[in-house]
Formats: sequence, C-alpha cells, structure tokens
Amino acid sequence: MPDSPTLSFGLQLQPQSRMVSIVRRFVEESFEKIVGDPEAVFRVSLAVHELLENAAKYAVGDKTGLQVHFDSNGSAASIKLTNQTTPAHIERLRACISEIQAAREPFVLYQTMMRRTFGIQEESGLGLARIRAEGELDLSLEIDGTMVTIVASCLPTGRTSV
Amino acid sequence: MSKAWTEGMKESDFSAQATVNDRRIQVSLVGTADLTIKAQLDHFLRQVHSEAQRCLAEEVTVDVRHLEFMNSSCLKSFVWWVSTVQEQPAVGKYRIVFVSSPTVYWQRRSLNALACLANEIISVQA
Repeated sequence: MPDSPTLSFGLQLQPQSRMVSIVRRFVEESFEKIVGDPEAVFRVSLAVHELLENAAKYAVGDKTGLQVHFDSNGSAASIKLTNQTTPAHIERLRACISEIQAAREPFVLYQTMMRRTFGIQEESGLGLARIRAEGELDLSLEIDGTMVTIVASCLPTGRTSV
Repeated sequence: MSKAWTEGMKESDFSAQATVNDRRIQVSLVGTADLTIKAQLDHFLRQVHSEAQRCLAEEVTVDVRHLEFMNSSCLKSFVWWVSTVQEQPAVGKYRIVFVSSPTVYWQRRSLNALACLANEIISVQA
C-alpha cells in the first residue's frame, strides 16, 4: 500500500504555444489544493510548462500526450510527455539529455548552458537543464521510431519507481 | 535630468512598462512571459538597454513581483541583456536590480541563476 495517495491525470492535446500556460495553470491550481508542498507543485508545473513548450516548438503532427503523477505529500512525481518529432530533433534531445544526466552539478551545467545561449537563436536545451536544476527532477528519454517520450521525475528515498 | 522616456508593451497575458527618471530606469513586468511574447520581450529589453546607454543609467530596477511565470525562452532574453551589459566598457555598465516576491516560486530559483551569471551587476531584492 503506498505511503500516500497518488494523484494523476493524462491529457491529449495539440502542441500549440497558447495552450502551454493554460495547462501549467491547470496543474498548479489542481495540485496546490491537495498537495501540502507548494514548492513541489511549482517544480512539477515548471516541468509541465517547459516540456509542453518543447513539443510546441519541435513536435511533428497534432497530438501530444501528457501524463502527470504526484504523491499527495509532494515527495514523488513524474511527468511524461510523448510526441512525434524529426530524427534530427531526436538526436539533439538524446545529446542534451545525456549531457544533463552526466552532470554531477546540475546547477553548474545550467549556468554553462545559459552562457552558451548568448547570441544564438537555435535550440539550446535550456528548458531541459532548467527542469533538472531548478525543478530538481531527473530526466530520461524513451524513443520508439519517431515517437519520443521525455520523463521528468523525482522519487522519495528508497523508492525505485513512481 | 534626462529627457522623459517611456517604453511599454501589452499583450493578452503580459505587459511591460519602463520609465526613466534621472539616471535610473524602472521596469515593471506583469503576467506570464512565455513563448507567445518572446519576440516582443526581446524588442522591449533592447529598447531598455538602448535607453540605459543613452542616459548613462546607473541602475535599472526590474519589478517582477507580479510576473506569474517566465519560461526558459524568455529567461534567454534576460541572459542576452545581462551578458550585453557585462560586455560594456565601464562607462556603459549599469546595475540591474530585480524586485521579487517570495511567494512566486519560480523567481527565487531563476533569478538566483541569473544573478550567478553576473553577480557584479545583478542583485535580487525579495
């Protein structure tokens, strides 16, 4: 039996930039009434926003799937975003998430990536580094052909899955 | 005293206002800074920087207490601004002071990250 009840929901939506803040507010307003830790809610809503914006910018096709799971005490969470994208974007995602996973100091990498963005307009991966550094969430990538799922998660000590 | 100058922008869910008084510029950001206003925010910050250079500003105060959220794309706009000020010769440099709210959770973490990029010119007031 879990230590605390798990709250979860899933959405299928078109990856449009105007939808991103609407969904983030929905997550914040829904969870902050139930979860006792507002900073934990912020960290999840930050990840939801940055992942959905990635989809709005780089997804191919008109369907994006979002799943959010949250322990009601705020101690464990996972956010999964699935969409179709291009092989070139998948390679950039793979490289970016590998770099983030390898970083011993997520905040130091975040600062490095911030400096890298100066003067460039193209994809920087800063949103993913922000999820890791500010949101304190682990990142992983699942690839199935041209479908990608980015998972951002945090686990309480001693647990191996949410 | 510098000539009066104001710059502003208003979108459906975001507004920005800047005014100059002597050699101090006051900026106020309200709403949500996300992908939908990134281009406008870039333009706004360029205008603020240009005015700061023109009036030899000592300080720009940025009030973000009512800025509900800022995404990483808009954070990049601030990285551009901060990095540009850092690159100026001494005469063109000015301080950037963020006025933040402790109850808006993105602000402590994101502004701290920005301040660490350039702590000689940035300070954060909560």
